[in-house]
Amino acid sequence: MHVGNALRRHGIHGVLTGGACASLHTGGVYHSVDVDFILSGRVTQAQLDAAMAEVGFVRKGDHYVHPRVRFYVEFPRGPLAIGADHRVHPVERRSGTVRSLTLSATDSCRDRLAAWYHWNDRQSLEVAVAIALRNRIRLPAVRDWSHEEGFEDRFEEFLAAVREARRRRRGRSWRP
Amino acid sequence: MTVKVRSSPFGSTTRTRVLLALSLMSESYPRELARLLEAPLSSTQRALRSLERDGLVAARSAGRTRIFRINPRYFAFSDLMRYLRRLNEPEVELAQRVAALRRRPRQTAKPL
Repeated sequence: MHVGNALRRHGIHGVLTGGACASLHTGGVYHSVDVDFILSGRVTQAQLDAAMAEVGFVRKGDHYVHPRVRFYVEFPRGPLAIGADHRVHPVERRSGTVRSLTLSATDSCRDRLAAWYHWNDRQSLEVAVAIALRNRIRLPAVRDWSHEEGFEDRFEEFLAAVREARRRRRGRSWRP
Repeated sequence: MTVKVRSSPFGSTTRTRVLLALSLMSESYPRELARLLEAPLSSTQRALRSLERDGLVAARSAGRTRIFRINPRYFAFSDLMRYLRRLNEPEVELAQRVAALRRRPRQTAKPL
């Protein structure tokens, strides 16, 4: 969030995506050590270095590190897209005076599903389910997108996993 | 200085050739690609790294080997594949070289 805020203050349009964004939407249930921001517009290396230095990050190769934090920040090349869909509308997230652009919960869920669909990465499926459990997800939009990506069957599997996770959660909360 | 006899719409000739080869092979690793394209390993690795930074290819680890493929999560993946298929049409020699690679399984320790 502080990195996003620093980017914004320096006039850099950066959207938090990937695992770190999923971590926000799962309330920290899932952790990621790489923080990915997709930039848009014209940004110079000097501008980016200055914005990152403001929050204590220094450039090391093609990513930024901080002497006291475990995670590192990367800026993968855009455009901001989820699978073939590049009409992605980021949302602003606030925490006190700190503001940062992130993927919406629905888009973060789609982003994790894309990793499961295309890389067969089951951990990403679990994270997508965790996002769906904690947030209101526009499931019809996710279904349409899954169809476009050619993974309707996997969407049904995701849906079944969400239902099962909800059932287990209800079961747990009823126990004395 | 050698004369460039092929177009290289993806930047360097090696970047373009790597993409063409990967589109035919589904996935490969740097040494295999370098052998196939008769290119130095270092320039093949450099091309793969820059294509990875651009999001056009993605890699996973298998032991100590990095296995590369065209990134299916790239937003223009299907258009890119269509374009590469078209670019591959006159590349008869490359297609033959790829076809000569053994891809089917072979039982462990079975002689070649």
